[in-house]
Amino acid sequence: MGFASSKVCILVVEAASGKRGIAAALSRLGDDARLEFHTDTETSIARARSGEVDVVVVDLGLGGDAERLMDSLRRDGPPAIVVDDRLSNDRALEWFRRGAADCVALEGGDAELLAVVVLEQIRRWRAIHERGAAENRIRELEHYSESVVQNMNSAVLVVDQDGTVTTSNAPAVEILGRSTKALLGQSVIDWFKDASGKGMLASTLADGRTFKGAESQITRPNGAVLPIGISIAPIADGNGVTHGAVATFQDLTGIQQLQRQLLQSEKMASIGQLAAGVAHEINNPMGFIHANLFQMAEYLSDLRRVWTQVELLQKAVSRAEMAEIQRTSERLAGIVDETDVDFLLTDLAKAIRESQEGSERIRHIVHDLRDFSYPDSGRQVVADVNQCLESTANIVWPMMKHLVVLEKEYSDLPAVTCFPMQLKQVFMNLLVNAYQAIEERLGDAAHRSGETGRIQLRTEPTGNHVRITITDDGVGIDAENLDRIFDPFFTTKKVGSGTGLGLSTTYSIVQRHGGTIQVESTPDDGTTFRILLPVDGADVVG
Amino acid sequence: MSSDETRSLLIVDDEARILSALRRTLRREGYEILTAETAEEALRILDERSVDAILSDNKMPVMNGSEFLREAARRCPNAVRMIITGWTEEIPPSQLESLGVCALVSKPWDDDKLKATLRRALGL
Repeated sequence: MGFASSKVCILVVEAASGKRGIAAALSRLGDDARLEFHTDTETSIARARSGEVDVVVVDLGLGGDAERLMDSLRRDGPPAIVVDDRLSNDRALEWFRRGAADCVALEGGDAELLAVVVLEQIRRWRAIHERGAAENRIRELEHYSESVVQNMNSAVLVVDQDGTVTTSNAPAVEILGRSTKALLGQSVIDWFKDASGKGMLASTLADGRTFKGAESQITRPNGAVLPIGISIAPIADGNGVTHGAVATFQDLTGIQQLQRQLLQSEKMASIGQLAAGVAHEINNPMGFIHANLFQMAEYLSDLRRVWTQVELLQKAVSRAEMAEIQRTSERLAGIVDETDVDFLLTDLAKAIRESQEGSERIRHIVHDLRDFSYPDSGRQVVADVNQCLESTANIVWPMMKHLVVLEKEYSDLPAVTCFPMQLKQVFMNLLVNAYQAIEERLGDAAHRSGETGRIQLRTEPTGNHVRITITDDGVGIDAENLDRIFDPFFTTKKVGSGTGLGLSTTYSIVQRHGGTIQVESTPDDGTTFRILLPVDGADVVG
Repeated sequence: MSSDETRSLLIVDDEARILSALRRTLRREGYEILTAETAEEALRILDERSVDAILSDNKMPVMNGSEFLREAARRCPNAVRMIITGWTEEIPPSQLESLGVCALVSKPWDDDKLKATLRRALGL
């Protein structure tokens, strides 16, 4: 509550209008003062309590009404100044006791004092009033910020310069697994599982740095570790001196699960695109292994026929039955001739060898596929990027081998901290795109006349990074599309042959690794993708 | 054609092991079997002589099965044409028809069915 206007409002309650010259005494206050004159006590009390009046001047000529008026203003009204023609000290004391703020005698030259006294009382009244209002405002703000903090969906912690918790809300209590009591006054630093979280908070408190949407982990009292997304900002005073920090954070468990699911389903979609190539690659060896097994069974039954005669011959020899030996030998020679035993033995060995090679090929394909379709553990590990690229190229090779010459130029690379499965998905997306671009340039199978395309894979170390370059000589990307290729659901492929998520997934995976991806393309000439990955993995800070 | 004549069959597949497995399967069927690992090699054979039946893989480098069969039909129009493939879905039925393909065999194949298909195709 405040004053209705900056103009002061003086309520004068007189016994009879204008009798004592109060108006004259107050006229010195000029236009800044609005004077309101009343003779009726009830109206005066109502006006005095309206909140619009700064001071009440009460004419003691009112007699008993003056007392009633003073009593009613005593508790919560504006200050009241009593005036009379003459005022003895005793009488003045009595009115002070009744709650008068001041007493002024109008006779004897003191009339001039009235304006001064009135102003002084207004000043005091306004000072008290304003302080009260400010206190109210502070209480309101505290209440407001408290209810904002408590009702936020994000967890909030406010810490002082030592990292000691001064404020927390319900989501913070839930995520940290500690009661409000166990939070307040405790140091937050040790709850961070990883060095990066501790480092961020320390850097905010020491240098006033701000972090947005960083990832970290916290440990609950029961030992459980939770992934969190956290933003930290310093709390500084007007001079820029940091007095603490405010941190908002969320539990990322659910989000990370969704992220993994999305990655996994995108990966499965790219496996779907490979189905034809993989089916070929498996069905060819399956075809000849299957046929060979049936033929080997036939060979075996032929050889069994031969063996039966050999056994009969052995028996005849042991009994020395010459005639039987003669007959059996002839039968044996006939069957050996008929079944072509020499061929059977040679071809059986060949069929076994070929089938072994075929089954080995199938084993490889299935192994690579399984390797590729496993989800990542959600934790970065140290891996060989050359191997990731090579095993992915092995999977897509069957699909493209009839159209593409694959050139590989791998350099020795340092081990890279990464999500290997996600990197394989990146390579898969880029390789499939490269193949499709070549397929598009070469056109319909009927008009190809033996022409093939070329895909180059290159890896090299550069300082703290590794660079992976994938170049194709396919159809290329139009300049107007080049800015949009990493947008989700942007696709120029035919309906059903692309999800429009491949490159946007690729982009976000590279970004998650703290890396960059660049594209260069000339229509009808080809496209080059360059990926730069930090050897030490994603920089979680900042 | 009478049934005691020896029928000739040209098999084309870029996978040599498929060729040798098919040879094994058809060993007792009494066909004269010719094989080629590329469409070009098969066309060279057809330049020299005619055959009664052609069984071709579809997915091959340089020239695929459909292209090859189109060429083969020009050189040897009387040969019955068949495709053997690991992924039958990749060839639309309309294309089979336009190529005059009388049978589509999928890998891995059933030996008895394959033999029956060949016999039927050759009118035996």
